[in-house]
Amino acid sequence: IGLSDTAVMDMMISNLQQQRQVTEQLRREAAIKRISVSQAVLDIMKYITEHEQEDCLLVGFSSQKANPFREKSSCTLL
Amino acid sequence: MPPKDDLELQKLRKELDDLMTKIKEEQNKAADKTLEDICGDVASAPKVRLTTKKLLKGHINKVNSIHFSGDSRHAVTGSLDGKLIIWDTWTGNKVQIIPLRSSWVMSVAFAPSGNYVACGGMDNMCTVYDLNNRDSTGAAKIVRELLGYEGFLSSCRFLDDKTIITGSGDMKICLWDLEMGKRSLEFEAHSGDVVSISLSPDSSSYLTGSVDKSCRLWDLRDDKPKQTFFGHTSDVNSVCFHPSGYAFATGSEDKTARMFDIRSDQNIATYHPPNNTSGFTSCGLSLSGRYMLCGSDDSSVHIWDTLKNQHNGCLTGHENRITSLSVAGNGMAVATCSWDQNVRVWV
Repeated sequence: IGLSDTAVMDMMISNLQQQRQVTEQLRREAAIKRISVSQAVLDIMKYITEHEQEDCLLVGFSSQKANPFREKSSCTLL
Repeated sequence: MPPKDDLELQKLRKELDDLMTKIKEEQNKAADKTLEDICGDVASAPKVRLTTKKLLKGHINKVNSIHFSGDSRHAVTGSLDGKLIIWDTWTGNKVQIIPLRSSWVMSVAFAPSGNYVACGGMDNMCTVYDLNNRDSTGAAKIVRELLGYEGFLSSCRFLDDKTIITGSGDMKICLWDLEMGKRSLEFEAHSGDVVSISLSPDSSSYLTGSVDKSCRLWDLRDDKPKQTFFGHTSDVNSVCFHPSGYAFATGSEDKTARMFDIRSDQNIATYHPPNNTSGFTSCGLSLSGRYMLCGSDDSSVHIWDTLKNQHNGCLTGHENRITSLSVAGNGMAVATCSWDQNVRVWV
């Protein structure tokens, strides 16, 4: 089995009806409008920049208090 | 086959080939630059500093699936020990333990509201539990058993408390109306098991990943895909919508993670780990979308700076394959589960 990059085409199209459906589906997909990769990536970059400050993996916690996973100080039962 | 049909079949096959060629041409036309070029001036992201803040022990067999609740605090895990555990990840406490009728659980989901969890697997069904109502044994009450699958349940996601989407080994997607207990949609979605589902940030569409190596984008109400994305050379194990809604991340058996862009309709980046030895079982993105995280067969989570296509590090700790990964909705934590029977919360 070759490593086809068109996996959907590996479908077991065993009859005319299925072939019609697969071809119709691809007709639809071929007709979509595509924007340039540079425009697409610029928009993604813009989104990331706008949300950077809220991304804990990027900027960490503003203070330890803001981190709900932190070890709370222990209490002693008297 | 009658000769007339034979002729039409040939015509359709030729048209199919021509369409594939056309699509590739259009995609190439849109590929005016590479992601790496466009982001050439972007500063590299800092090294991610995540460590295991909670090591959650409790399961006594492989843990196959994990999912955060919409409250970014509770998470549900499903294990081959036949239990679902609802965890409070802030404290490490087990909030509920739900014994399953079948131990062959492959996929779990938490409703965004936190009111319900769903699971399913080799029992070929999806069971929905109400966390706020107990049955006579004291366990969370079963509110729905969704039947009729001709294959194992491989993925599920709640749209809200009334709607769940499932992907299964019979290659189908089903949309269920949980109030009526009936399917509102059922259709063949791929030419292989549908193993991953990701909802768009605005909940108007969703992505599926399949062992047929492709990913598909769907409008909630349609039974035909809007787009099909090729690029992976083996099973797509996991898909994750980018928070912007413009793109999505994938993890695959082909040992790569990728970024696909929806509007330019193509694979815009391929991420490799330093040692190309293992497949990726799961993926997630940080809140802004800057980091991609993938759980691997090699027991670690690999992290990439998505814009610079740079491997940013690994989260090590698990002692066996990581099966599933979930990023909390508020982006504060990442939870992973593994064949090593443990669950880790990374903060």
